[in-house]
Amino acid sequence: MSAVLELRGVSAAYGPFRSLFEVSLTVGAGEAVALLGSNGAGKTTTARVASGLLAPSSGTVWVDGADLSGAPAWRYARAGVAHAPEGRSVFATLSVEDNLRLSFRQSKGRAGVGAALDRAFELFPVLAKRRHQLAGTLSGGEQRMLSMARVMVDAPKLLVADELSLGLAPIVVDQVYDSLQRLREAGTALLIVEQHVPHALALCDRVVLLGHGAVAWHGSASEAPTAIPDKVFHQA
Amino acid sequence: MLLGASAGSDLLRALVQGTPAGTVYALLALGLVLTYKTSGVFNLALGAQAYVSAALYFQARVSWGWPIIPALLVSVFVLAPALGFVLERLVFRHLRSASAVAKLVVTIGLAVALPAIFDLALGFHSIAGQTPVGIIPGGATVFYNPFGVYALSRNELMAVGVAASAMAGLAVLFRYTTVGLHMRAVVESPRMTELNGIRSDRVSSFSWALSSLFAGMAGVLIAPRFNTLAAPDFFNLVVIAIAAAAIGMLVSLPRTFAGGLGLGLLIAVFQTFLPRWSDSLPWLATVRENLTPAMPFVVLFAVLVLWPAIRRSRAASDPLAGVEPPPPAPAATTRSRGLTVATRVFAVVFFTVTGLVVFFRADASWMFLVTQAVILSLIFLSITVITGLAGEISLCQGTFAAIGAFASFQLVTHLGMSVLLAALVGAVIAAVVGAVLSLPVLRLGGIWLSIATLAFAYFFDSVMVKLSWVGGGKQALAEGTRLPRPLLGPFNMNDNRTFLGLSIILLLIVAFAVVRIREGTVGQTLRALRGSELGAQSIGISPARARITAFAISAFIAGIGGALLAIQQQNVNYSSNFSPFASLFWLVLVVSLGSRTVEGAMQAGAAFGLFDAVLLKGAVIGWLLRSPARIPSVFPLSGTWRFVLFGLGALQFARHPEGLVENGKRGATEAVDRWLAARRERSPVVERTTEPETAA
Amino acid sequence: MSATADEPFLQAKGVAKSFAGIMAVHHVDIAVAAGERVGLIGPNGAGKTTLFNCLLGVVPVDRGVVQLAGEDVTRLPIHLRARRGLGRTFQRIELFAEATVREHLLIAERTRRGDGALWKDLLGRGRPKADEIERCDHILGLLGLAELADAPSEHLSLGQGRLLEVGRALMTEPRLLLLDEPSSGLDHDETVDLGRTLRDAQIDRGFGVLLVEHDVEFVSDFTDRCLVLDAGRLIAEGPTGEVLASDAVREAYLGTMGTVA
Ligand SMILES: Nc1ncnc2c1ncn2[C@@H]1O[C@H](COP(=O)(O)OP(=O)(O)OP(=O)(O)O)[C@@H](O)[C@H]1O
Ligand SMILES: Nc1ncnc2c1ncn2[C@@H]1O[C@H](COP(=O)(O)OP(=O)(O)OP(=O)(O)O)[C@@H](O)[C@H]1O
Ligand SMILES: [Mg+2]
Ligand SMILES: [Mg+2]
Repeated sequence: MSAVLELRGVSAAYGPFRSLFEVSLTVGAGEAVALLGSNGAGKTTTARVASGLLAPSSGTVWVDGADLSGAPAWRYARAGVAHAPEGRSVFATLSVEDNLRLSFRQSKGRAGVGAALDRAFELFPVLAKRRHQLAGTLSGGEQRMLSMARVMVDAPKLLVADELSLGLAPIVVDQVYDSLQRLREAGTALLIVEQHVPHALALCDRVVLLGHGAVAWHGSASEAPTAIPDKVFHQA
Repeated sequence: MLLGASAGSDLLRALVQGTPAGTVYALLALGLVLTYKTSGVFNLALGAQAYVSAALYFQARVSWGWPIIPALLVSVFVLAPALGFVLERLVFRHLRSASAVAKLVVTIGLAVALPAIFDLALGFHSIAGQTPVGIIPGGATVFYNPFGVYALSRNELMAVGVAASAMAGLAVLFRYTTVGLHMRAVVESPRMTELNGIRSDRVSSFSWALSSLFAGMAGVLIAPRFNTLAAPDFFNLVVIAIAAAAIGMLVSLPRTFAGGLGLGLLIAVFQTFLPRWSDSLPWLATVRENLTPAMPFVVLFAVLVLWPAIRRSRAASDPLAGVEPPPPAPAATTRSRGLTVATRVFAVVFFTVTGLVVFFRADASWMFLVTQAVILSLIFLSITVITGLAGEISLCQGTFAAIGAFASFQLVTHLGMSVLLAALVGAVIAAVVGAVLSLPVLRLGGIWLSIATLAFAYFFDSVMVKLSWVGGGKQALAEGTRLPRPLLGPFNMNDNRTFLGLSIILLLIVAFAVVRIREGTVGQTLRALRGSELGAQSIGISPARARITAFAISAFIAGIGGALLAIQQQNVNYSSNFSPFASLFWLVLVVSLGSRTVEGAMQAGAAFGLFDAVLLKGAVIGWLLRSPARIPSVFPLSGTWRFVLFGLGALQFARHPEGLVENGKRGATEAVDRWLAARRERSPVVERTTEPETAA
Repeated sequence: MSATADEPFLQAKGVAKSFAGIMAVHHVDIAVAAGERVGLIGPNGAGKTTLFNCLLGVVPVDRGVVQLAGEDVTRLPIHLRARRGLGRTFQRIELFAEATVREHLLIAERTRRGDGALWKDLLGRGRPKADEIERCDHILGLLGLAELADAPSEHLSLGQGRLLEVGRALMTEPRLLLLDEPSSGLDHDETVDLGRTLRDAQIDRGFGVLLVEHDVEFVSDFTDRCLVLDAGRLIAEGPTGEVLASDAVREAYLGTMGTVA
């Protein structure tokens, strides 16, 4: 099984503040990996390294067999990594439709934009009603949907989703997980950061647990509930 | 209805007559909006970019005798985009996530430096008394008279046509093309754009090339309207065009175009009709004379006050800003205690020695310069308050200082008030003006506030100063705006040494007060507001009150400094001390040396006051060589160099937005700490990391 | 009008707000007493955040009245409502850039006391006093942020930032706390901790809480009463358990996840 994403001994820092220490992890083709860990453990940082937003200070990042360490984020995107960052990650001054168009025009070409838009609106019908509204005025959950729609319409090689269900109503979370399941079936590999552990375990094959910026445990999703001592989640 | 008919045709004539001027404003305003939309920079260097192309075109046509097409190609279609490309690469790429202050400051630096560099490189000198050539044969000689009321030259029609089609073309570009979408996306977040697989660096290079091309085009089109070709004229035009850009709210190209045109028409209509009424009202004559420079201020404030949408518009922040590390903490808070003590001891020794040398060894001219540096430091502390603390970019600090100076002049001349008391009252008046000015602009965010203050500075400069109860009117023109030196008990301030002493004492008092304000409640409140206005309000902070306080304090400090400067020179010397351009110059200097710290302001004062003598005239070399005659002949450097050096300083700042002093201090602190650590044979420890214990 | 003991602290009557013709909040009446813990749930885009914005005055209401302790505050600006006891956290974090964690709380404390004045700063009495610092550190301890007290706020992860917002709001000694998705960005155990901390503080000081959340478990543990907003209208109200069990809510909002929780 060839790896879609491989981090080898990656350390990362924000200026002088170091947040990741020698993290290694692999996501195989079509595999789903959940990244867990307490508040400030470095999950978001890992996701940022995986999509090229943050260059590792040491170690290497391999995407689909190519070493992309230190490459700009657009190379990651063109290599098939789709990243939905945490929080409000939309272009606030562009309309909903322009947000999606921007992304689809690049990934699907001029001809594919219309169809991709239709599928996005099918996925999240709320967005269709708001298609001409500025994305910055959407509600928190609607913004999350928009940023998920961008990456979920077609199966990318690797989908990195940070704080997947954050701010979404339970019924929408269900839908999102259904769609992710379908993406998996279509061959997409997943690296997801999720606070709602039962959900993550139900979807993913493997779990990587981070603590204080380093890998504290990793193993299969089925072992995780017994193997991960409860207090790991409590360390603050 | 004979009168009616003639009024009707007058109106028509005014409208036709106002069209070319309106086109000029429209072109420049479109340039401002274009750059703002495509790069998020409010580009005060636009005039400089326009000037460079216009000057090259002139040089090629007139001096080198080139035909129109190659001259146009080289100056507009090659030089201008290349300039934009280079600027993006060298400067603005590093500023993509910088604050509005940083970007604005850099463009001011460029506004000064670009023309100077161009002039030096091509040996070009500003043209006066000769009308630059247009881009169409017979541009200035062939006229068209569409309505039989006023003839427009071919050049003018050309400009109207190009402006209208450029507006339409750009609107289509933004509305319907992918590249337009990309440009808008990159402005908001280059990182998010990259996540979509788009090369944001290419997009921003293109943006800059495009907007620079447009600026160059505007320059070449505008130049034939005047019989001069000088960079400051272009800058002044840009300031007027800001009003039109505000009408378009910095986003809408058609509205901007209409705003620019409308501004030109409005001025022409006023020019036509005002004289009829002014027979009975003499003050209208003053209004009429100063209409054009006053217009942007009036229109701008009308727009700001009457148009609530502007007040609500906030620049969107980059959603992925969290990828950046937080800005470094001031070096003073991270250095070790030993180092702090060492620095303080060094500072005290250094200043004492310098002070003693100046007091007892310096001659009158040096004494004068040093005193001036001290007073300027005091004025610059007002920028530390408003920009460093409150995070607002005020471009009218010079005006506040002038208000202090003029007020004391008036109080002394007309009421015979004692000079120092007058200075104090002057400062209070400046504070009141500052507070009142801040009322309408309170809710405006970052860039709008700077625009408003810039407009105010120009309004004061072009209208207020000429009023007799401010600038002294005709009498002052004849006699100057004189202010005596005070007597304070046994101290006679006519003695330069005593006056220097007084200035130093005042500077220390103000510096001390600023430090206390920064560390106290007011400083904390302002910091919170700067961080998040909504968050601050939600814990009960009143933004209006805090901002008014900040403005008042800042204007007070500037006012007292301005009065002091006037007392030192025994004259207000408005145009050499306090012109709007001085305000810009000051801001750039203070911000690039460090607007957060008191040291920054003092260093800026020293730089400003002593730069000429020390660097340009080479006086220090002469002093070191013990004979002015032995100063190398490259000195004095021409004033142009001053602008170039200044601009390069601003560029340097682009790399170190916390200020050069702060940056240097951090470098030194870290080096010393590392050295100390190495001596103690411990591995260097970066402070405040979240490293696990393993690192220790 | 004066507030009596059992009169609700917050009362909103007929609040309506529309954006570009779309009703985001549609004639909503709510009342929350100090000391009460009330949940506000509803699908995405239901108008919960907009309602909070109307209550605090971030956006002006189109129609309706907002009262705090019986006083009509519909026209008052945000900071005056805050001083009358309305605390708030934000769905999109609103922290003070370039301030440390402790400074966030110190400035809130200073504003609450309302004794900051320019002349005091000038006399050097503006610096934080020992008892102020102590109060701040106490709250930081409660929220588990003590270690980060001197860290700049940009340094915080999403979850830490949320906790800091809660702490800042607590420092103002609110009589009613509006919490907008405080648990998003926190994992399960951290959410439980936050709930416990909040409840202790709430019982201790007797303030009310109006909680917007999508974490149903948190809502059902923490609140006694629950309101459901859908498309800008209140569609259900009652004891939390009953509301969450109702079919309408299950269908419009919970999906199958209600059973997971
Ligand atoms: N921009 C930044 N500058 C400095 N430090 C940062 C920055 N962003 C995050 N950190 C630090 O890096 C560490 C890891 O943060 P990260 O955002 O990866 O955590 P996380 O696991 O995603 O937490 P959460 O679940 O709360 O989102 C934290 O200690 C945080 O304080
Ligand atoms: N400024 C605005 N302009 C236009 N529509 C807006 C504006 N602000 C909010 N809306 C719309 O009003 C509706 C209510 O938004 P609100 O933020 O209150 O939802 P919410 O209940 O908080 O949802 P969530 O759970 O997703 O945070 C949304 O559909 C949103 O798109
Ligand atoms: Mg995170
Ligand atoms: Mg909301």
